[in-house]
Amino acid sequence: MDKILINVLKEVQDNDGYISEKAMKNISVKYNVPLAKLYGVATFYAMFKIEKQGEHIIEICGSPSCMLNNGQKIEDFLEKELKIEVGKTTKNKKFSLYKTSCIGCCDEAPAMLMDGKPYTNLTIEKIKKILKKY
Amino acid sequence: MQIELKTSLKALEKAKKLGPKGVLKRLDKMGVVGRGGASFPTGRKWKIALETSSDEKFVICNADEGEPGTFKDKLIIKKNAETMIEGILIAAYTIGAKRCFIYLRGEYDHLRIELETKIKEIIKKSGLAVTIEIIRGAGAYICGEETSIIQSIMGNRGHAMYKPPYPPVEGLWGKPTIVNNVETLTGVSQSILFDDWDSSLRLFSLSGNVENPGVYEFPLGVKMSKILDVVRSKNKIKAVSFGCFGGFMKIKKNMEITHENICKEGCQHGAFSMIFIDETHNIVDVSYTIAKFYTYESCGKCTPCREGTIRLLERIKQVKEGKATKKDLELLKEFAEHVQETSLCGLGQSAGNYILTGLKHFKSDYLEYLK
Ligand code: SF4
Ligand code: FES
Repeated sequence: MDKILINVLKEVQDNDGYISEKAMKNISVKYNVPLAKLYGVATFYAMFKIEKQGEHIIEICGSPSCMLNNGQKIEDFLEKELKIEVGKTTKNKKFSLYKTSCIGCCDEAPAMLMDGKPYTNLTIEKIKKILKKY
Repeated sequence: MQIELKTSLKALEKAKKLGPKGVLKRLDKMGVVGRGGASFPTGRKWKIALETSSDEKFVICNADEGEPGTFKDKLIIKKNAETMIEGILIAAYTIGAKRCFIYLRGEYDHLRIELETKIKEIIKKSGLAVTIEIIRGAGAYICGEETSIIQSIMGNRGHAMYKPPYPPVEGLWGKPTIVNNVETLTGVSQSILFDDWDSSLRLFSLSGNVENPGVYEFPLGVKMSKILDVVRSKNKIKAVSFGCFGGFMKIKKNMEITHENICKEGCQHGAFSMIFIDETHNIVDVSYTIAKFYTYESCGKCTPCREGTIRLLERIKQVKEGKATKKDLELLKEFAEHVQETSLCGLGQSAGNYILTGLKHFKSDYLEYLK
């Protein structure tokens, strides 16, 4: 049976938090896929990271339904609170912050994913509580 | 809601009695069409795959609803995955496929474990020698497009491919493949089992500046006023955006929501994702959000879309910052048309809709921002 490459990469991403060069080399040998191609695939998808990430990945929705429901305020607050810009990792390596396209929670906007788990109907108060939990 | 009706493997039983040709006939008779936006008759798609001879065939369930403002497939996966899975089995039985896939968007990974359990259960009960593997999407809007899904499953970058060949003839690993979305496959099971299944009912994902957002079921032709009554809003709603790709439409309370009426406004309904925008928002601001979405999600394969979406973003930003003139608006329109006309796939071909319809129906919003 053909092995599904994207599932293999996803598992590495889940386990290691990113897809390192070493991991890529291993996969390349194991599944007989040229490294260059693998790199191309790994960099195509937003959820695959090729650099070490913070312990937790926050993906905040930047699509219209969230933006029409104070999404920008939530984003600004997260940047301020974590003292980083979108796309960066906090100094203590605890959080990486990203902006993403719609995560399918538009009826509970604004929304974000924390390590893949949706948090919805966000308010600044709610975010403060969530951050404390992690 | 009709979409929640369970078929409990009785539709598969009936399909086996009907035989592959009988299934195709039944789908045609019941008016089953694709619910991803293209409305292609499902029976006709399957017929091509059935008639193309090959040692192997595949079925893909597209659970990668990435269009902003869309969340109906999530509801189906949560509430009626059994019936969807049965639809996949019916597809496999009909065209003679042994290996099937569910391409689950990465944003719905939290639904995966439960779905896996259900798949195992249902396959076991069905007694079919068929496998269904979940492909774990990793955040790429373009992978909602059938040729991109196929590339992604084959381990390539999820680029859209030129059609023809169409997947039912030449899809996964060059073999006949049918790709149908979650809502379509759920409807397949239901339409086979229930004689009173109503093909005119559609799921609408409603969100934006409304008090009761959510998934609703309405018949095609439903009045806009009825939808507004259900979703309710604090402020006056002035526009609806069909996802990001379908364009902005003015609210006309008496309008019947049909394919023709929406086309007349220069819009595309797609999967009926309606994002409502109230009068406190300027269309240019919403357009800026949409422009960013396109630059982010363009797969980069063809130049007019890869570069064009960036240029459109720059131009919308120019308007938003009060640096544009009337002449710039004309250029903006021309540019949007150009991107649409010269792009390869549906993403680029719709990447100017929000601008063209915005300029057509909400010119005053643009004028407010001119220098
Ligand atoms: S139109 Fe855009 S998304 Fe489609 S193939 Fe070209 S670059 Fe990719
Ligand atoms: S627009 Fe934010 S979740 Fe859909």
